[in-house]
Amino acid sequence: MTTRRVVVCLDMKGGRVVKGVKFEGLRDVGDPVELAARYEAEGADEIVFLDVSASSEERKPLLDVARRTAERLFIPLTIGGGIDSVDALTAALRAGADKVSMNSSIVKRPELLTEAAAVAGAQCVVASIDAKREGGGFRVYTHGGKRPTDLDAVAWAKRCVALGAGEILITSIDRDGARTGYDLELTRAVADAVGVPVIASGGAGQASHLADAFEKGHADAALLAGILHDGHTTVRALKAELGKAGVDVRKEAA
Amino acid sequence: MKAALFDFGAGNLHSLVRGLAQLGVDARIETDAKNCIGADLLVLPGVGAFGHAAQRLAPAREAVKQALVNDQPALGICLGMQLFFDSSEEGAGQGVGFIEGQVTRLTGKHVPHIGWTPVEGVPTEMYYAHSYACRPKDPAVVKAWSLHDGERIAAIVRKGRTVGVQFHPEKSSRAGLQLLGTLIREVTS
Repeated sequence: MTTRRVVVCLDMKGGRVVKGVKFEGLRDVGDPVELAARYEAEGADEIVFLDVSASSEERKPLLDVARRTAERLFIPLTIGGGIDSVDALTAALRAGADKVSMNSSIVKRPELLTEAAAVAGAQCVVASIDAKREGGGFRVYTHGGKRPTDLDAVAWAKRCVALGAGEILITSIDRDGARTGYDLELTRAVADAVGVPVIASGGAGQASHLADAFEKGHADAALLAGILHDGHTTVRALKAELGKAGVDVRKEAA
Repeated sequence: MKAALFDFGAGNLHSLVRGLAQLGVDARIETDAKNCIGADLLVLPGVGAFGHAAQRLAPAREAVKQALVNDQPALGICLGMQLFFDSSEEGAGQGVGFIEGQVTRLTGKHVPHIGWTPVEGVPTEMYYAHSYACRPKDPAVVKAWSLHDGERIAAIVRKGRTVGVQFHPEKSSRAGLQLLGTLIREVTS
């Protein structure tokens, strides 16, 4: 059985982690390379760097960060934010990313998914979808959740997979930062509709939320950010709780 | 020990180079596979798509095959392992053809297979990211299997001094690097 993954997301801007991240004994660590390595040591299964820079100028240091991270990180690294062409995707992979996540750029030009999969293989291509509950369904938003589209999240997820995405990262805008649990209905609707792995995102507050995302939401992976960064809990503690609850998580080397 | 990695031009080689360095293996990157022949270890890394990689490998294909027949120690990771075989459903062109068999699409519910999966005889899970798997004609070359969605996947193959792994040991944390070291020792000693 493939185990359920715990994915740690770091928001970056100008080559630094933007939200303060506190580790025990350390007040604030803003260096993404250092942080990624620490989360690996804690038992994270995967790291995501999401670049929230407003301009391409501000985004420039990202590839250098990816390069330095790949030299120290021995778990998969996904990079997202501002990747809008095959060239940008290839540059991210060459720099050290194992996977690339795309969001607004694929809504604007869906064929980008097909082009990306042809070059890198579907397993490197993550379609990131931000969705909000509206009128009994889930509407897709772009540009960091600011711009509504006419797309339904489930239909869009299916189309992304048909075009070449090898994984879906589904974020609930309603739950993002709320720590009240993932939107299980949204997660399950997407996970049941596609044949690729699905990463649940938005709303994690405690271990039981992750267990629910896996068992009730049918997700393959669960993404975390805030509750780890503010020292509220650790990956190791969460995975220990998940293990006790009967969730199949990765064993660490003795 | 000195290893030579054949770069097909598609993806991240940094983790593998650094992982090898941690194991005391000094790796250089070559864009012509012929230049990898004669190294202590020839490495076909695991990133990209089969058709593109086969095309890049084509001019050196026969020479590489001959080297493997002549006991050149070699390691293939993911796509690199698949390139030891004859051909793939993923794309046109030929693999090295050192191990007889085809590479075909996974048949389970979830394709690609992405995540940490147990490998027979290995104490911890290893990280997989693939849509295609090797189907050796001679099952005896398979040294360990993994199970994904009820389908058996050749996880580790070995023939002569050539070893291939379908998972990514360089992405499987500390346990992955340890296993990588063991496999390299087996084919080089």
